[in-house]
Amino acid sequence: MRGTLSGVAVLAIDTSAAVAVSLCDDDGALLAARRVDSQREHAELLAPMVRDVLAEAGLAPADLVAVVAGTGPAPFTGLRAGLVTARMIALAREVPLHGVSALDALAAQVLLADDAASASRGAVPADDAASGGDLAGAGRASEVLVVTDARRREVYAARFRVADGDVVAVAGPFVDKPDVVAERAAGAVVVGAGAALYPEVFPEARGPLVPDPAVLARLAITRASRGADQPAEPLYLRRPDVTPAAGRKRATA
Amino acid sequence: MTSAPLVLGIETSCDETGVALVRAHPDRSELVGEAVASSVDEHARFGGIIPEIASRAHLEAMGPTLRRALEDAGASLEDVDAIAVTAGPGLVGPLTVGASAAKALAVALDVPLYGVNHVIGPAAVGELVHGLFPVRLMALVVSGGHTTLLRVEDVVTGVTELGSTLDDAAGEAFDKVGRLLGLPYPGGPHVDRLAREGDPRAIRFPRGLTAAKDQERHAYDFSFSGLKTAVARWVEAREDAGEEVPLADVAASFADAVADVLVAKTIAACEREGIDTLVVGGGFSANSQLRELAAERCAAAGVTLRIPPLRFCTDNGAMIAALGAAAVRRGVAPSPLELPVDSSMPLELVTL
Repeated sequence: MRGTLSGVAVLAIDTSAAVAVSLCDDDGALLAARRVDSQREHAELLAPMVRDVLAEAGLAPADLVAVVAGTGPAPFTGLRAGLVTARMIALAREVPLHGVSALDALAAQVLLADDAASASRGAVPADDAASGGDLAGAGRASEVLVVTDARRREVYAARFRVADGDVVAVAGPFVDKPDVVAERAAGAVVVGAGAALYPEVFPEARGPLVPDPAVLARLAITRASRGADQPAEPLYLRRPDVTPAAGRKRATA
Repeated sequence: MTSAPLVLGIETSCDETGVALVRAHPDRSELVGEAVASSVDEHARFGGIIPEIASRAHLEAMGPTLRRALEDAGASLEDVDAIAVTAGPGLVGPLTVGASAAKALAVALDVPLYGVNHVIGPAAVGELVHGLFPVRLMALVVSGGHTTLLRVEDVVTGVTELGSTLDDAAGEAFDKVGRLLGLPYPGGPHVDRLAREGDPRAIRFPRGLTAAKDQERHAYDFSFSGLKTAVARWVEAREDAGEEVPLADVAASFADAVADVLVAKTIAACEREGIDTLVVGGGFSANSQLRELAAERCAAAGVTLRIPPLRFCTDNGAMIAALGAAAVRRGVAPSPLELPVDSSMPLELVTL
């Protein structure tokens, strides 16, 4: 971590796997981070974490120049907590808001990690153990299938390749049963907690791997510099569960 | 010159996204701007609120509704001095969106946060209309989710739950009877409209928990489940006999039974507690039979009735901002940012 006198910071929030917040400078270098491995209590945890990363970096909310939101796919309640937090902070500070999929972040953590290590201005430095410490063997893969847990015995997935220093989805994102998703795995490195959950379907899977909000921030910074539109819209991938009202029931037998 | 604190209120406990700005003057609370978005139309075809649909709508509506409220107030977020948000009770998914939004704004603007109780809101909204509350009052909060009698010594620090419904809320009973009579969802307003065309004395439906034997344990409680069943049995008996069901009379007699019980028990509570001011709030306070009967019997009993205009009856941000303004005016300690949402928040806790 380093001190920043004239504060310029990008806040990134991801709630797809853990509750995670990172603060980076506008080159994507990490200033402070918090992570709680919980799939609950997003509404309790997030705002204090944002306050804490700012405090640790010695910055104020007014120092934020952009906010980045993880757009999932992810369980709905936590995903919304992250998105609405990011949206409201961006609105209050009148700074740009960018959305990046957690699957993109995971793909970048694998596909761009090696490039970043040697590049002077890396899009994705592997400065977090969770972002690729156990993925040394995956470094030269040309395509990656990212698989995360969608619960209900299904997974979220997308397949990526590298193009122009960014990761680009060539298939997905979608939600489906693990064996259906596995049909897309040929020729790709398979990563993600969703793959690790189903070793019989994904025997070659590497991971587990957790999306790093700092990687979201770096992807967003790169994409914004190229003029890309990055809507902070949720990737639910599923329709709401609804139970249509039953027909009128009799009170008398 | 320093102006009175400006409180932003956010309400998302059910299907309405409400945002409002209230200025907490020393001697009054002034509503300066508000906006509401509702997802009610998206739920209609399911005959009830679908929490996930409501939650998705809250996320999409939060930014636009906040902007509209600020525009309505001619204010910017920089002017906001405190944030109040519904912490409960309500649906967890919708509450989570509102609480997360409120906390994010509190952090980004560096202002205090007050997590407040949704059920006290409809009582507090009266302060925007009728001026600050007297020291002691009775509050009847009636909606699709609540039917609760509160003794209010202080709207922030002295709320006591005297009683509530043991089964269905009054608005819920209306929705169910609406379905029974083949009316669209939500049934409340439709039953109300139909009831105005019928004879409220045509059918004598039961008045729950009004018998002498119930007064010892349930003087302040309500029950509408038996009434709803009685209506269903009456309608079914007519149908089985091949007779036409006089829908307007059924609606009028049912509505009269609900209003009669609510008003009779509430006025009895006022007399027993020695309280001479009654505030009625919540979605069901829009019900015309209730409003008329309450006005008539309060006048006869010498009880001052404060019932907010119809626009404050449905869930809105104004009531939450009003409660936040009351907390700010009293110098109550703000809530921690770690504030949880509580789907079954106890009624006697006004701020968390």
